[in-house]
Amino acid sequence: MSTASQTPASWRRLLGTLTLAVLLEQLPWSGWMLAIRPDFVLVGVLFWVLHQPARIGFGTAFFLGLLVDFQDGAVFGQHAMAYMIGVYLVLFLRLRLLQFDPARQAAQLFPILLAAQLVVLLVGWIAVNPPSGLAMLLPVFSSTLLWYLIALFMRVWHGKGLRDRA
Amino acid sequence: MATPGQLMFARGLGPTARLLIWLLIGVSCVVVDSRYHALDGLRIGFSLLLRPVREVLNAPGEVASELGGFFTRHRLLQKERDALLAERTRLLAGMNEARELARENAELRALMQLQARPGQQVVHAALLYQGHDWFAQRITVDQGASSGVRSGLPVVDASGLVGQVSRVYPQSSEVTQVSSPEQLTPVFVERTGQRGLAAGIGQGRLELRYMPAQTDIRPGDRLLTSGIDRVYPAGIPVGQVSRVSRSQASPYLRVECLPLAGIDRLRAVLVLIAAPQVTKP
Repeated sequence: MSTASQTPASWRRLLGTLTLAVLLEQLPWSGWMLAIRPDFVLVGVLFWVLHQPARIGFGTAFFLGLLVDFQDGAVFGQHAMAYMIGVYLVLFLRLRLLQFDPARQAAQLFPILLAAQLVVLLVGWIAVNPPSGLAMLLPVFSSTLLWYLIALFMRVWHGKGLRDRA
Repeated sequence: MATPGQLMFARGLGPTARLLIWLLIGVSCVVVDSRYHALDGLRIGFSLLLRPVREVLNAPGEVASELGGFFTRHRLLQKERDALLAERTRLLAGMNEARELARENAELRALMQLQARPGQQVVHAALLYQGHDWFAQRITVDQGASSGVRSGLPVVDASGLVGQVSRVYPQSSEVTQVSSPEQLTPVFVERTGQRGLAAGIGQGRLELRYMPAQTDIRPGDRLLTSGIDRVYPAGIPVGQVSRVSRSQASPYLRVECLPLAGIDRLRAVLVLIAAPQVTKP
């Protein structure tokens, strides 16, 4: 995946997927669907940080974080800071993460996504109100699942097949 | 490879340094936004940017519900129509009485030289979006400053008080729900007239605060807005008492209530625009 870089097509794909992530987040979710909605934007950002770290970095992630903050009516900077932590951890573990098959990669992304969500929790706790319950950790699981599906899809897309071990 | 004149290990800042810089920016964003409310311009920019997107994305759901409605059974519709007609007759009868009472009330108030109650003009708004914020329950509705919505106005639906407008954008606004933590609503108990303060405690629940232990209150009692704050008009249903318990540690009763407005299932709300002397929350 990272070999297919440096072409305008990959720029288009990158912007396309990030826009799609923002749009998915904008859908009028409600009820339990809202409660378990994965953080599409975070997963998209981390995916591209993993595969195209030269193009997507802290700046883009920060801007998208502010967008999500607006989206949720949260205080500005809450998700932005969480995304910073996520991006940093992915950059830190990047070479390691790239070696795993989808399931294991998703398993290793879980603590990163959890850390990001805990930052959201912490910032909200300090800046706004104490949180009501731990239901806000649910999206971490759905985000992990989403990551697994995306990684699986990429693998099939690149013709490596489902059974092949990296 | 390093070319002559270029340092062998020259490179930009490491990830850790960049992380720290961005975190610093993030912290200042949080402080500036929550303490000084200085980023409202950015919010308005985002709202203008995302408004068409949100409207377009709302369309599929609306089409789906239209289609679902199309296939509703004929008999069901007839039954609903009959029920509505009956209710309309009842309401019309009630309205005549209310009009008479309002006239009488106006006369009495004029006689006693009391200040008139804030007038009620309503703005219909449709629910646009439910926020995913775990620290304050908010909804976004599709009417904003351009239709006269201001910060602090009460928002109701057919069954009760939904909340209070907390942020206004040009074309939309954010409503903080009554059950949102630290959202205070002055209420009175319908059965006894006892005044109190309802505070949201999150997860769709309210708490009636500072009720002395000997207060006459029991599950099932309805709470209406008392109107003493001149933010909410008096008499809007807010919630219903669901549980009353006494704790050893506190001199007050612990009274839990559930909001009456269908916050999880509502589609359309009304913003009540009262007379301009409304005090800000």
